[in-house]
Amino acid sequence: MRTAGDLVARVQLSKKLRINEAKKYVADKLKIGVEELCDPVIMSEVRADLGFGVMMPLGGTPKGLECKFNIARVLDLDINCLNRFKRMAGL
Amino acid sequence: MTKIFTRMGDGSPLEMTEAELRGDIEDGISQAVEKGDVPPLTQEEIEYLVELFKRDDRFVGVPLGKEVILSYDAATLKIKRHALFEDRINALAIYERLLGADTLELCHVDYSYKVLKPIVSYEQATLEQALYNTHAPLFYGAMPNLGLYTQPDGPFPNPMELLPQGRIEEGRAAYDQMVEAAVEDICFIAEAMWESGADAINFDTVGASGDPDFKASLMAVERLRGKYPDLPIMVGMAGEFVLGMHGEMYYDGVRLAGLYPKDQLALAEKAGAAIFGPVVNTNANESTPWNLARTIALIKPCGETASIPIHANMGMGVGAVPVTDYPPVDVVSRASKAMVELCRLDGL
Amino acid sequence: MSEAIYQKAIDAIMEADQKLALEAVRQHLDSGVDPMELMNKGFIVGISKVGDLFGSGKMFLPELMLAAEVMQAASQALNQAMPAGRESGYAHIHITAATVKGDIHDIGKGIGIALFRANGFTVHDLGRDVEAEVMIDDAVKNNSQIIATSALLTTTLSEQKKLEETLKKAGLKGKIKTMVAGAPVTPRWANRIGADIYAENAHEGVQGVIRAIKEG
Repeated sequence: MRTAGDLVARVQLSKKLRINEAKKYVADKLKIGVEELCDPVIMSEVRADLGFGVMMPLGGTPKGLECKFNIARVLDLDINCLNRFKRMAGL
Repeated sequence: MTKIFTRMGDGSPLEMTEAELRGDIEDGISQAVEKGDVPPLTQEEIEYLVELFKRDDRFVGVPLGKEVILSYDAATLKIKRHALFEDRINALAIYERLLGADTLELCHVDYSYKVLKPIVSYEQATLEQALYNTHAPLFYGAMPNLGLYTQPDGPFPNPMELLPQGRIEEGRAAYDQMVEAAVEDICFIAEAMWESGADAINFDTVGASGDPDFKASLMAVERLRGKYPDLPIMVGMAGEFVLGMHGEMYYDGVRLAGLYPKDQLALAEKAGAAIFGPVVNTNANESTPWNLARTIALIKPCGETASIPIHANMGMGVGAVPVTDYPPVDVVSRASKAMVELCRLDGL
Repeated sequence: MSEAIYQKAIDAIMEADQKLALEAVRQHLDSGVDPMELMNKGFIVGISKVGDLFGSGKMFLPELMLAAEVMQAASQALNQAMPAGRESGYAHIHITAATVKGDIHDIGKGIGIALFRANGFTVHDLGRDVEAEVMIDDAVKNNSQIIATSALLTTTLSEQKKLEETLKKAGLKGKIKTMVAGAPVTPRWANRIGADIYAENAHEGVQGVIRAIKEG
């Protein structure tokens, strides 16, 4: 969560992509350069702007499951627990 | 003559001349070629390793742009080893928000699929709560651990007692029964955790009980992927080759006993794994350069041929990391860097 | 002629062919050469190769067990031809083996014992989760020269140290040698606790014991 490792890992898992392809996928979706994915200064801003969750979350910012909705939407991924959440909440 | 500082496979400090360093690297490669039927490293790769060990940096890292994923197995179990008695959801938050882990794993301290059956509902509840509070992909993980299926821990006769009595067929029949039972247990837990929202399932230390263990894992991956095509499964191995406890077990027409990482990978891919974690064991009697060269030679073919991500196991006693509770950063960082750069890894 | 018989003995072990092994024994005894020669230059070479192949994942446990049976039959046949008080092979070397107290992992121990038996040693398997005192009692009772322990967990390693301390208290340290093995066990650990032999794997364990016996 300092950078984009969790996001790239999600893409590796759901799309079985090798590292370079997974990084490119995430960078394209975030509209940033691949080299910026591992920069904590840039990525903490990107994460805060997109509501992806940060290492030091303040009050009033998205956290946990809320962030996963944003991640799923921006990265165009299906996140398993969100489907369960919607099912359980009758959404 | 300048001495190069490195370590033995048990972590003991060691000084070598450049000639000794080269000798160990070449010897490690030769052993991998002989045992694992893999091509040797190129001269360029040997020079890379020599230069890596000659550097006097305490810590080394990959160049910008070469970063890979750091996945964690058994996270909520490992934190207990430090006598930190955090509840597991907090433990996951610590991994994620203090340690910067790229993936998380919820697990039970008794880390075997078999023992989870009676408590699965409690595990599900913990997982469901953890998923509300975390951000990184959350695995549920355990070991297939076929050792628990034989008497006195399980229902089947113990082949380790039958085989020495020459009762080979009875021993093999017991292994066959163990495989069937383990597949049921693994699938039971994995299905429950997927239904509870897990991002992925980890089969950890696959093959720890030899070829029956590997076969049960491959069959479970295949069955789970058939039922849940979107369920990602990480298959992490226990050792560098599959021990032939049965000796005549096959998957997809391939004899499992004696398979080294590149052939293990092919079967994991075929079964439907999403990530493969190869292992090469560290030999405590040899130096880190010897171990690292050997490890790279054995794992490199995985990185070159894989169609799925490869996260090599790098930790105490595997991946050229010394067999010690406190692996020194000088050798851990050298091993990690070289593995990523020479083996085309996707994660550690 | 002898070389061909030695090779036949090697092949017999590697192919687990008891008939071939006994044929080699008969031919060797007919030639009048010391029976020990066939054991050392034939059968032991063969079983050492088997150990190597097993350690490389090129031979498997059931085959190892079958090779062990052939080795045992060959040893018995050769011993019958030896003068009283003299034995071929290592059957007179007794080893007490166990997984340490608190540890129930016994696959590695099982493999180790299989290879020791295949090499002709007499092994007393005490099973798993065994107290140091019980191992020592067994070693004394059976006149074991070696106590071999396995510990798979970092949490149970300390039991190997306890064995060394208990042997010292009993005045048996040095009289009974110790061999330590298991995933977290290292040469450094063996040195620290004063164990006599470190086994990286089953094959190296056998070689370590053979070296220790030769060194006395």
